[in-house]
Amino acid sequence: MSGHAEILGVQGVGHSFGGFSVLKNVNFTVPHGSIVGLIGPNGSGKTTLFNVISGYIRHQHGLVAYDGEDVRAESIQARSIAGLVRTFQTPKVFEQMTVLENIMAGAYKLTRSGVIEDLISLPRSRADMRRITELAEEVCAKFGMEKLRHDLALRLPAGQRRILEIARAVIGRPRLLMLDEPSSGLNTNEIASLRRWIEQLRAEGIAILLVSHDMELMTVADRVHVLYFGEIIASGGMDEIQKNAQVREVYLGA
Amino acid sequence: MKTARFLLIVVAFALCVALPPYLPRHLVDLLVFAGIYTIAGLGVGLLLGQCGIANLGQIVFYAIGAYATAYLTVYVHAPAAVGFVVGIAISAALALAIGWPILRLSGYFLALATLAMGIIANALFFEWDWLTGGTLGIGGIPKLQIFGFVLDTPLRFYYLVLGVVAICMLLAQNLIRSRTGLALRAMRDSQDAAISLAVNPRWLRTRVFILSAVLGSVAGSLFAHYGGFANVQSFGIEKSINFLLIPVLGGAASLIGVVVGALFIAFVPELLSQFGSVHQMLFGVALVGVVVLMPAGLTGALAGIWRRSVDGAKP
Repeated sequence: MSGHAEILGVQGVGHSFGGFSVLKNVNFTVPHGSIVGLIGPNGSGKTTLFNVISGYIRHQHGLVAYDGEDVRAESIQARSIAGLVRTFQTPKVFEQMTVLENIMAGAYKLTRSGVIEDLISLPRSRADMRRITELAEEVCAKFGMEKLRHDLALRLPAGQRRILEIARAVIGRPRLLMLDEPSSGLNTNEIASLRRWIEQLRAEGIAILLVSHDMELMTVADRVHVLYFGEIIASGGMDEIQKNAQVREVYLGA
Repeated sequence: MKTARFLLIVVAFALCVALPPYLPRHLVDLLVFAGIYTIAGLGVGLLLGQCGIANLGQIVFYAIGAYATAYLTVYVHAPAAVGFVVGIAISAALALAIGWPILRLSGYFLALATLAMGIIANALFFEWDWLTGGTLGIGGIPKLQIFGFVLDTPLRFYYLVLGVVAICMLLAQNLIRSRTGLALRAMRDSQDAAISLAVNPRWLRTRVFILSAVLGSVAGSLFAHYGGFANVQSFGIEKSINFLLIPVLGGAASLIGVVVGALFIAFVPELLSQFGSVHQMLFGVALVGVVVLMPAGLTGALAGIWRRSVDGAKP
């Protein structure tokens, strides 16, 4: 762990699409090993902010610092290798691959054998594959998916897809895991299980940035920021947020 | 299941080795072509099955292999190996130069870009007659010799092709089972998710494109040595379509599918030719039949039947 107090620092981030400002001077931090939540109505800029932090969008203003380093110029891949990994609003599993292979793909970045080595099946290539398989079997068991491991991901229900996406991210040893609406499409039991996973991962030292509409799930967060038309209008614990008059007016509808 | 599969491969390979001496010459001749098509089709199959890329430009590299062999062995009197190596080097360099810009595209746009590549190359082969001999082509390409043993009959050449096919299949199998194979299939299924796991799609696709080009070039060099000539009619766009049909018909999900597809492309038109002038139409009907009735290709359909029978046998 580095000397920086926070794993993620977002300072004065602004971005616009075709003259329309989607993010305006957004500031917040994610301390190491904490859970930070982002809420806001549809179109408030949550997903854009996610895309900016993970590198899918090159933003126009402000600074994104990961572990104290400015990552504006870094590719998505470089951020991922450094441990900044995201999931997607609609789970993007590799449908034509098995559950185990999906998780194995998450360990791709932990290994280094090249295409030529893989073609000729040199020792490093075989050792890499053994390592990937062992790790994936462990993670598969950890997430309770052993029985499904040879099933195509295509056949998984929504809840299992979410868990698979998280398992696939976790095998790559993330330090900041960004979850985009992880509870959408899940039933109550699945949400309860998801919540336990989020707490468990935090206990393992992984910081989590959580975007969700689900106020119940959001109570897992140490600190919550409310995004409204691209600006953070309130920050604090979930109980404070729920009492905030402005938030109630624009978002909670009370 | 794994043992059954392994046994099946061993038996099939043993048949491929033992049977041809007892087959009539024209059938062995077709087997040689099926082998050459397998090598070229394997490249296209890796792109289609592992990366989800439809490549309609394989003919470019097939022709480069053939012309490199023809030019160097006939005009420069270079040893056959030089033809193979130069063909491979030019194909790989060209695949890098073309692949890097076009592999940013995907879907139909990429397929069209590869088609355009094939059409342009065919026109150039025709125009650059100082190099390719134009419509007359280059004839008199020497038969291949291995340690003084001349491969001057279809049967002798067949065994060389069989060996090359076996090596290429083994290498492709290694690739598919490696971390690179995982990454390729991951980006085929969801590019965004693969990128989030640190996969670099453009680089990986370019590498597989180069690999595919190398396979096309080797197949082209073999074709030139076998036929003894290389001319522009052999490198038309319909041949490129055939190369894409190989994995489509056989089934892009498996390597065996490529062999089955290549056998189909080599044998079915020949079998149908006995029906006279309508044989091309019949071939078209056969193609449509396979594609409509077996969307996962011939091996995909067989695998489906196998799975159902295994599931049916379970209590």
